[in-house]
Amino acid sequence: MTAAPFLALLLSPILAAAGALVLPPRWRAASVLHAGLGLISLLAALRFVALVLDGWTPTWGATVLFRVDALSALLAACVAFVAALAALLGPRLGPDDHYTPAQVRRFRVFSSLFAFTMLVAVTANNVGVMWIAIEATTIASAVIVPLTVTKASVEASWKYILIGSVGIALAFVGTVLGYFDFVTLVGQREYALNWTVLLANAPVLHPPVIQLAFVFILIGYGTKAGLAPMHTWLPDAHSEAPSALSAMMSGVLLAVALYAIVRWKAVVTAAVGHQFPNRLLIGLGLLSLAIAALSLVIQRQYKRLLAYSSIEHTGLMCLGLALGPLGVFASMLHLVNHTLAKSMMFFASGRILDRYGSPEIGRVSGLLRVMPWTGGLFAAGMIALLGLPPFGMFLSKFALVRAGFADGKGWLMAAVLALLAVAFVSLLAHLNRMLYGPAPAGIRRGESGGWAVVPLVACATMLVVLGIAVPAPITELLDRIVEIAGR
Amino acid sequence: MSPELVSQLSVGGSTLVLLAGLAMLWRRGVRAHIGAFTAQSVALAATTAMVGWFTGDWQLWAVAALLLLIKGVGIPILLARMARRFGTERELEPYVNTATSLLVGGLLVLLAYLVTAPLVSVSQLPTRTGMPLAMGLVFVSLFVIISRKKALTQVLGFLMLENAVALLAVLGTHGIPIIVEIGVFLDVALGFIVMQVFVYQIHETFESIDVEQLNRLRE
Amino acid sequence: MSPWLLGPVQAAMALLLAPGLVGAIRWMKARLQNRSGAPPWQPYLELRKLFAKEVVVSNNASWLFRAAPFIVFGSTVAVTLLVPLLAVPLPFDGAGDLLVVVYLLLLGTFFLALAGLDPGSPFGGMGASREMTVAALAEPTMALAIFALAWSAGSTNLGHIAARMLATPSEALAPGHVLAFAAIFIVTLAETGRLPVDNPATHLELTMIHEAMVLEYSGRYLALIEWAAALKLLVFFTLLGNLFAPWGIAAALTPGALLWAALTLALKLLALGGVVALVETHIAKLRLFRVPELLSASFILALLAVTASFLLR
Repeated sequence: MTAAPFLALLLSPILAAAGALVLPPRWRAASVLHAGLGLISLLAALRFVALVLDGWTPTWGATVLFRVDALSALLAACVAFVAALAALLGPRLGPDDHYTPAQVRRFRVFSSLFAFTMLVAVTANNVGVMWIAIEATTIASAVIVPLTVTKASVEASWKYILIGSVGIALAFVGTVLGYFDFVTLVGQREYALNWTVLLANAPVLHPPVIQLAFVFILIGYGTKAGLAPMHTWLPDAHSEAPSALSAMMSGVLLAVALYAIVRWKAVVTAAVGHQFPNRLLIGLGLLSLAIAALSLVIQRQYKRLLAYSSIEHTGLMCLGLALGPLGVFASMLHLVNHTLAKSMMFFASGRILDRYGSPEIGRVSGLLRVMPWTGGLFAAGMIALLGLPPFGMFLSKFALVRAGFADGKGWLMAAVLALLAVAFVSLLAHLNRMLYGPAPAGIRRGESGGWAVVPLVACATMLVVLGIAVPAPITELLDRIVEIAGR
Repeated sequence: MSPELVSQLSVGGSTLVLLAGLAMLWRRGVRAHIGAFTAQSVALAATTAMVGWFTGDWQLWAVAALLLLIKGVGIPILLARMARRFGTERELEPYVNTATSLLVGGLLVLLAYLVTAPLVSVSQLPTRTGMPLAMGLVFVSLFVIISRKKALTQVLGFLMLENAVALLAVLGTHGIPIIVEIGVFLDVALGFIVMQVFVYQIHETFESIDVEQLNRLRE
Repeated sequence: MSPWLLGPVQAAMALLLAPGLVGAIRWMKARLQNRSGAPPWQPYLELRKLFAKEVVVSNNASWLFRAAPFIVFGSTVAVTLLVPLLAVPLPFDGAGDLLVVVYLLLLGTFFLALAGLDPGSPFGGMGASREMTVAALAEPTMALAIFALAWSAGSTNLGHIAARMLATPSEALAPGHVLAFAAIFIVTLAETGRLPVDNPATHLELTMIHEAMVLEYSGRYLALIEWAAALKLLVFFTLLGNLFAPWGIAAALTPGALLWAALTLALKLLALGGVVALVETHIAKLRLFRVPELLSASFILALLAVTASFLLR
């Protein structure tokens, strides 16, 4: 298998970072190059999806360092997509933006590095390399959370990097314990940290050790995924970061953390059966859903609102993973939908923030009159997040609840539906407050930089497509993923 | 080198590493904390070298040298520079007072012993005897991060957590593959540098590194 | 020599050596501080002077005040019968082990504290409460630390612990033992009223712990209490020396072996005394609210010693 797709996928973000470092940000060429390299990365990811659908499993590296199966391909596509959007719509030196050239440069460099580390994380075959990449995502993203230095953003970035790094360190404890078990049985091997090898040897691993390892892994990567009770950094970091970064973090970083959990769950299920991991996942997922749904009621800032919604959806995805193969399918479909919807929402909210100058929900009103396209997209995204048709989330949420009932967890699903109803009401109330009513005085009307709306409209369209009928390639991809994730 | 001697040295080295961690709960000054971290890194490097000698694995010697260089010399130098800026800010009143912190630390070590009992019973390596202490340091580091109020102390707690995991790895598995090891080093070093930048930023924005000041974002 | 004679001989030897030990430490401290200092046999002269002096008792004191010095002295002498000073096995092995030793020492402290409260003087009460705080934290530490040794020896009998250590010299540097040594060393400093917990040479009542309790005593009562304090110091040093480095202890009861045992014991006592003198010269006294921190640290050391011994069994 040639190395070309791998190079295109992974080298583009590196080149983009180098280019942003070297070229002056004011040059038109710099932004074009940046966006172009993002697009190349996306095309490479789509190529991987095509290869996987054809039945290949591309690998690269002497000790099979990189390996792309269905799960990796799907997540790589999501990451590359959001990264490309961020490259296109991120902080620019336009008339409406208020960033200095230094800030724009810093954003471009580190967001490209951020994208690179996420891509490495999902395509690495080695558990250790995946860990290194995920830790690096914390570092790369934390640098640009305080892009504009205010007391709030400094506080948010500090909490993020501290809690995130501590969580990842705990995940490393779990990784070491897993490797320890392997070493105890088989002895030291160079390739022992590969997923394929771990999975193959899973049935003979000692149950108590693997269970302990999984607890650490879940707590560790769960911190990055935003699962309660380790979620306290998320609302702060996602609301204080620049909108493009929030889109990347909420849209795909949480998904990458969930990817790590899915991989390890497959190993643990092969070792000790599915009861133990499922119980833990249900516990954490339900707790996250509850805390998020109840917190949504009292939110006063729209970006924080979106952040809590991310926690809610991550909790749902976590729950789905524990509900058998139907649940895994629903969970992964939900992942794709959430990526599209949440990133679109954050980009839209970025435009709202630029126009209205305030992050408070109370200060934003008459959105449909002031910015019809952005307002419409915001409303569409919110409706999508609520789980209403014709958007994709409706299908995935429905599939998830159905999987729950099929798995015999009726009471659990009833609780989930109740919490979703709470979230529904609060989100809808906040949305109404923002969309309608008189516009504040002195706000300029009309869209600025109209072409920037186009990619967001594309997102919305994709959501609708996923909502009406999931295209066959995606269904097939998801079926493969269900096999990978174990029963 | 007989396995019994290796067992004893493992427990000895792990005890030193854990004691340095407990010293973070006991002493209050920034310089004492940095000294404790340096001592801990040196003890960790020594333990790694000892395991390397026992197994005859040259890679472990390289890892020990890296540990000494990065965590025993490099990071303490940077920390000392920070201490000169913020050294006058002593950890006056942590959330939990010293005597109680030490007792909680002891309880955490006992808890770690309970948690790692399956690990010790499963393994055949002579170095497995030190693993409960390494896990104890994991818990103690978490406690340090939660209960201390100065951002600098929290950074030190994180560095100690990384030391604990490195110790766990070397005692339980006689070293993880070298690529991963180097990657971990880079990660920790980079993470520390970024945290350092953040502490300076906090100091500039809030005029102190007291984490209690970071309370603007609620709900 | 009959084994039953060993007990009284040990006790007599301890009684004779104890004031000398205190004097030696004082002399070493003086030399370290560049003073001439009193000669090492000064405490003997002090004891003789005190026995000759008149006793003055407060009107408010009860029978407890008069009885306490004897109880303290008696319990400390009883401890010397149970500690491996010269030889193992001890004749009174069946009567007492580690726990009895700890509780006998605590008995002495308890009665001394009561005697401090008895005359109703404010300094006495202050000293008593401070002493109880220190004892409450130090006693469990000591029990735990010796328990760590007992675990590896398989018995809480002090004689057996020493014998076991004699038999397996390689275990002397085991992590559990080193930690236990450190813990008991800190407890020694606390229980015998040495810096950094309590300054034995202070004349400021508000900084006293042990001295404040005995402020009201005079004459032969004070002599008995001072002697008991010196004996306590000797007992602790013996525990430190003969439990952790028991080489020199007589296994048979021949005069040659016993003489050699006495010699090595004297050497160990002097060595430990030197260390304490150094420590006292270098460290300043801790503020009272910091003392629980120090004792908690020693408790943790003892706890780690137990887990380390357990792990390496």
